[in-house]
Amino acid sequence: MDILKQFLGRLHPLLVHLPIGFIILGLLLLWYDRKKQTFKTIIALIFFWAGICSLVTCVTGYLQYRGEGYAFDTVKWHLWLGIVTTLFCFLMYFRIAEKQFLQLLKQFPIALFSVLMLLLISFTGHLGGDITHGKGYLIEPFPNSVKSFFGYEIFVEKPIALTEESWETSQFYEDVVHPVLNNKCVSCHNPKKSKGGLKLHTLEDILSGGENGEVIAPNNAEESPLYGRLILPMDDEDHMPPKEKTQLTKEEIAIIKTWISHGNPSETSIGQLGLPKDLFLSFFPQKENYFYPDTTVVAAHTDSIRAIKEFGIHVQQISNSSNLLSVSCINKPSFANDDFEIFNPIKQHIVVLDLGGTQINDGIFEKLTSLPHLTTLKLDNTSITGNGISRLSQLEHLKLINLTHSNFQSSFIPVLSGFKKLEKVFLYKTKASQLPEKNPNQDSLILDFGDYALPKIAQDSIIY
Amino acid sequence: MDPIERLIREKLMRDAQAKTRRHFIKDCAAGLGGLALGSIFLGCDPLRQKIEKQKITFSERDLNPLATLPPPYTPKVRSVIYLHMAGSPSQLEMFDYKPVLHTLNNQECPESLLQGKKFAFIKGTPRLLGPQAKFSQEGESGNWVSNYLPHFKKVIDEVAFLKAVHTDQFNHGPAQLFMHTGSPRLGRPSIGAWATYGLGSENQNLPGFVVLTSGGNTPDAGKSVWGSGFLPSVYQGVQCRSEGDPVLYIEDPKGLSRDLKKSTIEAINKINKEEYTKYADPEILARINQYEMAYRMQIAVPEVMNIENEPENIKEMYGVEPGKESFANNCLLARKLVEDGVRFVQLFDWGWDSHGTDHSTAVDLGLRNKCREIDRPITALLLDLKQRGLLDETLVVWGGEFGRTPMQENRGNKEMGFKGRDHHGDAFTMWMAGGGVKKGACYGKTDDIGFLGIEGQVSVHDVHATILHLLGFNHEEFTFEFQGRNFRLTDVEGVVIKDILA
Repeated sequence: MDILKQFLGRLHPLLVHLPIGFIILGLLLLWYDRKKQTFKTIIALIFFWAGICSLVTCVTGYLQYRGEGYAFDTVKWHLWLGIVTTLFCFLMYFRIAEKQFLQLLKQFPIALFSVLMLLLISFTGHLGGDITHGKGYLIEPFPNSVKSFFGYEIFVEKPIALTEESWETSQFYEDVVHPVLNNKCVSCHNPKKSKGGLKLHTLEDILSGGENGEVIAPNNAEESPLYGRLILPMDDEDHMPPKEKTQLTKEEIAIIKTWISHGNPSETSIGQLGLPKDLFLSFFPQKENYFYPDTTVVAAHTDSIRAIKEFGIHVQQISNSSNLLSVSCINKPSFANDDFEIFNPIKQHIVVLDLGGTQINDGIFEKLTSLPHLTTLKLDNTSITGNGISRLSQLEHLKLINLTHSNFQSSFIPVLSGFKKLEKVFLYKTKASQLPEKNPNQDSLILDFGDYALPKIAQDSIIY
Repeated sequence: MDPIERLIREKLMRDAQAKTRRHFIKDCAAGLGGLALGSIFLGCDPLRQKIEKQKITFSERDLNPLATLPPPYTPKVRSVIYLHMAGSPSQLEMFDYKPVLHTLNNQECPESLLQGKKFAFIKGTPRLLGPQAKFSQEGESGNWVSNYLPHFKKVIDEVAFLKAVHTDQFNHGPAQLFMHTGSPRLGRPSIGAWATYGLGSENQNLPGFVVLTSGGNTPDAGKSVWGSGFLPSVYQGVQCRSEGDPVLYIEDPKGLSRDLKKSTIEAINKINKEEYTKYADPEILARINQYEMAYRMQIAVPEVMNIENEPENIKEMYGVEPGKESFANNCLLARKLVEDGVRFVQLFDWGWDSHGTDHSTAVDLGLRNKCREIDRPITALLLDLKQRGLLDETLVVWGGEFGRTPMQENRGNKEMGFKGRDHHGDAFTMWMAGGGVKKGACYGKTDDIGFLGIEGQVSVHDVHATILHLLGFNHEEFTFEFQGRNFRLTDVEGVVIKDILA
C-alpha cells in the first residue's frame, strides 16, 4: 500500500498540468465567448473537469508531501492554495452553469472570477515549482539589478586584493576582515536576514552582537564566539558557517583570530599593527606563471581522442581544468611522419608533443608548424638532422626542444636564436657542438650540450 | 557513458568494496536460508538481475588501473625519484654546518635541552659532539656542504635544501612509515602509490611505481613503505632486484613459447572478466591487468633494467658496478626508468644508522664510506637527468626518516669506542631538486648546535604536500574514501612549502 501511495504521490508533478490546462482553456474560452455567450455549457463543463482534476491533484500532492518527507512549512502555502484553487474551480462551474442554489454568485461579474482564477493558478503553480526546482530557480538567469528589484537577496562578493606594494598600508578591518565576513557570513547575518539576531555587515553591528550576547570578547579570540564558532568541529551544532555553506579557509580564520586578539581595530592599517606578511600571503594575487599558453580551446571531441588512443598514442589533458593536451608516442615507437594526420582533430590542443624514439625524420618540421600552441617538443632518439627546423620559428609558444640522441647538426643552431619564446634546447649526443662565437641570444636561450663528467678524484677510492 | 549507467556501476563497485568479512558472517545467519530460497525463485535478487541485464561498459581505468588521468592542476613534474637513506644520515656531517657545536665539542649537554625529550639510546647526560666533517660554501648559492660529499658541490645550485624538517617519530620503522605513508602506523598508501593512483602511468609496458634497494638490507619498516594501503593493490611499488633477474621468475621456463604463454594469459583473463561481471570486484580487474602487464614486462623490464649497454662514460660517471647490488646502479636505473615514463621511482639505501657502535656506524669512519657510495651516483644522476632534459620534469627528493643528535651517543650511559649520534627527529635536512623547485634555495634554520629548528620548520606532512603540489595535486583535495571517511596522504595537516618553489 505504501508503494502505491508513494507512486501516486510521484504522479503529482505530472497531474498538476491537467487542471492548469483545463483552467487556462476555460479562461481563454470565456474571453473568446464573452460576447456571443454560445459555449456556456461547454465552459461550465471544462471548469467542472478542472475541479475534478484539481481534486485528484490535491490528493496526489498530499501523498507526495507525506511520502517524500517534505516539511509542512515548505509546502503549506502551496497546499492551502491548491485546495483553494480546487474549490474555486467548482465555484466557477457553479457561477457559469448558473445553478439556482447559489444566486449570490450572480452579483459578481464573471470577469472578476476569471482574474481571481488566473491569479490563483499562477501563484499555486509557482509555489509548486519553487518546491521542485528550488527557490529562485525562475529568477536565477536575471542580472542582479533585476533580482533586487523583485526583492530577491543579492550577494556581492568582495574580493580581497592585497598587493606587494600596498599590503602594509591597507586597512586591516576594511580591506581584509570585512571582505572575509562579507563573503562567508553576511549572506545570513545582514539587515534583512539576521540569523540569531546577529548582523555582521558593519563594525557597529558586529560589536552589538546577537541574541546570545556579544560575539567578541575584547582581545581574546578564544573566548569570542565570532572566532570560537569557526573552529568548532564541523559536526557541532554551533559550528559556523553551517555545514552546508562555504567554509572559511584556514587563512581567513587566522585573520579573524588576529583581528580579535589585536582588539578588533577599526581604522588601523596592517603596517601599523605590525602584522607579519605571512598572514596575508594567500590574499595576494596568485602569480600564475603560465608555462603553457594562456588560451582556452574548446575540448577536443572524445571520439577523436579515443581514435588517437586506439592508435597507440598517449593523449591526456595537461590538467583537469584545461583542454590543452599532452601527447606522447612512448608506446608507439613505429610512429612515422605519415601518421601525423591522426593529430588533425587536436592540432589546436597539443602543447606537449613527445615524438622521442620514433621513426620520424626532417619532414616532420613542416607538419609541426600546424600546432599553434606547441610549447614542449621532444624529438630525442630520432634521425632528424635539423633540416627545416627554422620553420618552427613561427610557433609562438615553443619553449623547450629536446633533440638529444638525434643527428641534429651544428649548422642549424643559429636559426634557433630567431625563435621568440624558446628557452632551452637539449643537444646532448647530437652532431652539434658548442659554437665558437657566443650565441647572440645567450641570455634567454639555454643550449644544453650536456656531456657532463665527474672526473675521478682521490677521495673516490679512500676507504675509511 | 550514460550518467545513470555510470551511477549504477559506481554504486555496485562501492557495494562490492564495502562488503567485509563482518558483513559476510552477519549475512550468513539469515543469508544461507535466503540463498536456498533465492535459488528456488531463481535470481530474485534485483541487483543481480541488473548486472546481468545491463551491458557494463568499461572506462579506460576499469580495464587498466594504470591508465593515465590528468592531474587536477597543471603539474610541474611528471615523475619523482625519491632517494631514501634508510637509517637516517647525519645532517651535521653532511649539510647542516654548526661551527658553534665544534667549539662545544665534548661539553656536557645542558639539562634544559634534554628535558621532556625521548631518545632511542642516549641515557643520562650525554656530551656534545662537534661536526666531524669540514664544511665549505659552494656554488653560486653559497650553500654549505661537507667534504664527505666532494662531488655534490657540482650540483649544489640545482637543489633546494630544507634545513629544519621535523618528525615526531624516533624509531626507524614508524619513522620510515611516517615519511612514506604519512602515518607511523601500518595501513596507509605510500606516496608512490598515491601518485600512481592519481595519475596512472604512461608506459604501458612498465609498472608505474618501481622500488630499488641497496646497502645489503631492506628498510626496517618492511615493504609497507611502498605498499598501497587501502588503495587497490595494483598501485603498490614493484620491487626490482638490481642483481640477477630484476624481477624473480621473469624468464619463461624452458620449453614454454611466447605464443603459448600469450594464449594461457588470454584464457585466464577471459575467465576473470566473467568473474568481474558477476561480482563487480575491482580487484579482479587489477588481477587481469597484472597478468597482461607481467606478460609485457617480460620483454620491457629486462631491457630497461639492463645497465650493461649504457656507454662507458655514463657508467663511469655514476660509478656503477654491473651485476652487483649498488646504489650507483640504482641511480642509473632510476634515470632509465624515468626516461621510460615510470611515474615514481623509490630508492632505499640501507646502512645510515650512525650510532657509533662499531667502525661502520661511526660518523667519522663508516659514514664517510656511505657518503662516498652516494656522492658520485647522486651527482651523476642530477647531471644526467639535466643533460637529457629530464630534470625539468622530474622531482628528486633526498632524505632519511629523521636526523641525528648533536650529542654523542652514550649507549647504556657509557662512553663508546666510536663516535656516533643517536636518532633525532626535531630537526634534520632534506633536499629537493628538479622541475618547479627553486634552484639553490635554502629554507629553514636550526639553532647553533643543530638541535631544534628555529626558522622555517617544516613537517613531514609539509614535504608530502609539496611533492603532491609539484605533481599537480592539492593535497587537501586528493582523497580516497575508505571505511566511511576520506583519507589524505597528509592526514589533516600539511602546508605546501612555497619558499622552495620556483
